[in-house]
Parts: sequence; structure tokens; C-alpha cells
Amino acid sequence: MARTITLRDANGVHTISVADDGVVRVGGGEPIATATRADGSLLVGRSHTAFAIASGETRWVFIDGDVFRFDVETRGTRRRGGSHHGSLSAPMPATVLRIHAQAGAEVKRGETLIILEAMKMELPIRASADGVVTAVHCREGELVQPGATLIEIDEAES
Amino acid sequence: MTAIRRILIANRGEIAIRIARACRESGIESIAVFSDADADAPHVLAADAAVHIGPAAPSESYLSITAIIAAARGARADAVHPGYGFLSENARFARACEGAGLIFIGPPASAIEQMGSKIGARKLMIGAGVPVVPGETPPDQSDEGILSAVHTVGYPALVKASAGGGGKGMRVLRTDADAREMIPAARREATAAFGDGTLYVERLIERPRHVEIQVFGDAHGHVVHLFERECSVQRRHQKIVEESPSPALTARVRTAMGEAAVAAARAAGYRNAGTIEFLLEGSGDEARFYFLEMNTRLQVEHPVTEAVTGVDLVRAQIAVAAGVPLPWRQEDLTQRGHAIECRIYAEDPASGFLPQAGPLLVYREPHGPGIRVDSGVVEGGTVTVNYDPLLAKLIVAAETRAAAIDRAIAALKAYPILGLRSNVPFLRKLLDHEAFRAGRVDTGFVDSHLDDLLGSSGTNPEALAAAAVVAAAPQARGPEAAAAPDPWATLQGWGR
Repeated sequence: MARTITLRDANGVHTISVADDGVVRVGGGEPIATATRADGSLLVGRSHTAFAIASGETRWVFIDGDVFRFDVETRGTRRRGGSHHGSLSAPMPATVLRIHAQAGAEVKRGETLIILEAMKMELPIRASADGVVTAVHCREGELVQPGATLIEIDEAES
Repeated sequence: MTAIRRILIANRGEIAIRIARACRESGIESIAVFSDADADAPHVLAADAAVHIGPAAPSESYLSITAIIAAARGARADAVHPGYGFLSENARFARACEGAGLIFIGPPASAIEQMGSKIGARKLMIGAGVPVVPGETPPDQSDEGILSAVHTVGYPALVKASAGGGGKGMRVLRTDADAREMIPAARREATAAFGDGTLYVERLIERPRHVEIQVFGDAHGHVVHLFERECSVQRRHQKIVEESPSPALTARVRTAMGEAAVAAARAAGYRNAGTIEFLLEGSGDEARFYFLEMNTRLQVEHPVTEAVTGVDLVRAQIAVAAGVPLPWRQEDLTQRGHAIECRIYAEDPASGFLPQAGPLLVYREPHGPGIRVDSGVVEGGTVTVNYDPLLAKLIVAAETRAAAIDRAIAALKAYPILGLRSNVPFLRKLLDHEAFRAGRVDTGFVDSHLDDLLGSSGTNPEALAAAAVVAAAPQARGPEAAAAPDPWATLQGWGR
């Protein structure tokens, strides 16, 4: 029996069916045979060698020197209506160089909210969605630890 | 001659493993050092023994002279190899080793000091007859005085504030008309920025190549060079692809650069492995080169030289440090075939080459004729944010440049790294770029071709098929995946 998987990436949402014998159909496309080799790699189609691995809802794929990252969409993954509360945290020990957004500010997805400095480089922390800043938990010049919440955002309806 | 029996390797990652390998081949015991963050790191396993030197912060471990010297004494080492980075170009450390009765596998502290000062090194090079970028702070600071200095260095020229950097007051001059208009403006800007209108005049080297010469000296007065490495492909002023020979050098220029590099090393009283970096301008026999700086250590890209000359630079470093004469004379050394090194970084080229941290869920190195991988990581390991994000170096060698490029691309296509972003796809596109294949490379290469190099190939059906197979069978996850923490929990908001 074939299972249907929905994967999302920057190019959109893809629906794929996987049969028990490893034959895969992407959308309404031609069937692609797959087989797992002893070293964990996948033979895809006639001649492509791929490595694929799961990490939470993320699927990483290496094929022909390219890397792809997909997110598995399960029922309930997509948020419908309502608002979502999100926070952004420091990815590494860093110094807060500049804060570009204050509480109450409306921000757009991708907008740089905070600039950190670590390993002599500037690291922008960007909004992951449109929304309103509800709290800023750091000061310019402060040294922050990995995982420290820097800023909280009430994300707008998606 | 002093026998070296036990070497403490004051470094981590791939270079520590490279040095441990050379020790093993020479019948010398190797002692690794490690911080709290590196207790299980591959470099610890690569050595015969290992000593804990402190917390993860480099300043309290790999950069701590006290901790390293204590570790070397405790382990009864007779020599210390600093690798590159960390304490490798620290004259105080070289002296501290000497003071503790340890052989520092590198140049004399005095040479490190001399070459560490930009102004001092420039003076030394001028004295040795090595070309430097023409420039001066004219004693006559009138408009006419500056103009006359501009004529001396030649067009295109750069005037800038003598007092400071940051591009303040900097002007590019291509003609006398430019000069008459811009000299007073540059002076006003310099005065406003630094309270000092003194101007420095320098020849502008446009679209230079970065070409360096490997040198090697011993304690018996011999100095040789081991030809060039072309290192123009850089991002964030750091090299990512190096090759030898340089596609830009003619035999005549290569000889002149080799001779200049040997003269430079002699002037500095240099011993052991070092590198003279030059800027190269123009092409053919008319190309001109200018001393940039000297790196008083083993370089990251040393395997490129090993591949084309067939020597082992690290073993030679150990021998020379023990007082053995250089194993080669200049006339023994030849360049054969072509070698390319790609630096494999945990970084995301699409986000301004930001370093990445996370688990190496899949990490498989390519193998085959002419392929060498010097790495400091293993599958199942974790890349942390504490240190440089260099994972490995891929070095390929082949008969010709074209064949070496093909081999490197094939190797990158067989180099899966999953769990965090690496620059493998970026390097593959870079090597296949028509301008790189044609050898048209300067230090602005990555910036000027960035759009081509980042271009997304779209979602391909084979990639989706592979992802769907693992998505459909979550129970078939590898053991690494099950054991590893979710990287995205810590990478949230990481400029994605």
C-alpha cells in the first residue's frame, strides 16, 4: 500500500507517494525506483546516489553534491488563523551589538531585529514571521548565552 | 642535534590529527591537549595520549600559554608543535617554550616578532630588495607635495588618512585632474575624522591575485622555497580554495617570486616552515608582485604544496626543529601536476557564510586516486560554536588543472554532510564556474560571482524521492539520528 507524504521547502509543498517496494511518485510524475544500500545510501532512479536522514520534522538529502532540506507536513502542522507566539534565541555565546526593534513594533518576516557579534562576525537575528514585538529581553552590549531568549513576537495570522 | 621523542600538539581539529600522523610515521610519541568541549574529539583519539587543559573558551585552554606549558611539562614532552592559529604566531609562547626547555617547532621568536609588525616587516623587505606596494607619508604635505608623491607611486593611486583606517578620507586617483580635486577633500575628511589631516599615498593594486610562496629554512643557513600557492578565492577575507601551480604565473615570474621569498626569509633570519604572501598584479611576464606579509607558521593549505612537490612538510618541520639539515636542496624540488584544496566549512553561504553548529548526522568522506581528506570530525559528532567552523580539507591532485578541477568536483559530489549546512554545494558550483575553470580569479572572485554561486537548482524529483523514503519510514532512522539532539532547537532564529 502506498503512503502519501507531504514535504515543504522554499519552492512550495510537494506531495509524494511511496509504495512498499520503494517506488516513489512525485506529484503525478513518472515512478522512481529507490533502494537502500548497505552503507545507508539510497539508489534513486537508475544512477543517483543519495543520502537522506531525518531529524525531528526535518528531512535532509544529499544528492549529486547538492543538499536539500524539507519539512514534513503532518495534519496540524499548518497554522490556520489565530496568532502564534514566537521567540528568538541566541544561537551561540555572543555580544548584543544592536537592537533594531522595541516592544510594540510591527515587524515583517525576514526583518533584522537584533545584531549579535560572535567569532568577530555580525550575526543578524531576523523575524521568522510578520508580527508585533511583545518583549525584548536583552540590552546592547550584553553578553548572551546560547538558548537565551532575546526577543518575543506575537506572530500575525498566516 | 637534539632528539625529539615526545611532541605536545598545542592545537585541535584536523591540524592536530595531521601532526599526530606525522609523529606516528616518525616514531615519535604524540600528546594531544583538549578543552572541556573536546573531551571526545577525534584529535584526542588520534594522539598517543591526551591532557585536559581547561574550559571550552579558547582563552582559557588552547590560547593559554600557562596551561599548555604545564601540560607539556606534565607529559614530559620535549617539543611543542603549535599547528596554525591559536598560539602559533605568538612570540611570547615561543619564548615560554624555550624557557621551559621545550623545542618550539617553528621559527625563532625573534622572526615571529619581526614579521608580526607590519611597519617593521615592510622596512625589512625594502632592505632585502623585496618589492612592497609603493607608498609613503610625504614630508611635504602641501597639495603639490602630495601630487608629487602620487607621481612617484604611479596611477592608479590611493590617498588616505595617515592617522587611521576605516576608509575615512580615502580617495582613488586615476588622473592629475582627480588628484587636484580630491587631495584637498581627502585632507578635510581626514581632519574631520581624526583631527589630523596628514595623508598617506599608496599605489592602488586593482583586482589583485593573492599568491604565496612556501619557504623553509634550517639551522644551518639553508633556505629553499617550495613554489607558489594561488589563494585568490576568498570569502570574508579568508581563503576557501587554494591551488598550485597558480594559473597566473609564467616561469619567469615564478622564479622571481621564489627568489624574492628566499631573500625575505633570509632577511628575517627565518627557520622552519613559513609563507611569504604576495599581491600579484597584471599577467604574463609583465605581472608585478608585492610583499603583503609573512605567515610564520605552517599554513592551512600546506597539503597543496605537499601534493605537487611530494614532500612531507610536517615531518620536515620536526626534523629541522631537532637540528637536522633540510632534507632538500633547491634544485631537488620540482612542481609536478596540479593540486587543489577546498576548505570544507560548517557555514551557510546563503546567509552570508554564517558559521553553523549542529550534529553531523551524515558525514562521509570521498575516496579515490588523487584524493586526500584531512579532517577533524566524524559522523555522529557535533560541531559546536566554540571554535573555527573548518570541518576538513579536501585536497585533490591530477596531471593538469582541468583534470584536478574535474576530480575535485567528483569528490565533492561524493561528500555528503547532513545535519547542518556546509559549503560543499557552494564549492562544487564555484569549481565548475566558467571563470574559475578559465583561471580568471582575483580576490574579488566570490563577491563578483556570488549570484551564480548561490543560484538554487530548484527542487529535483530525485531529492524529493529520497526525502520521502526516509519520511515514510521513520523507524528506519540511523542510530546517529536517534541519539542526536534536535539541532533546530538551538538554531532557532539563526538568520534563516
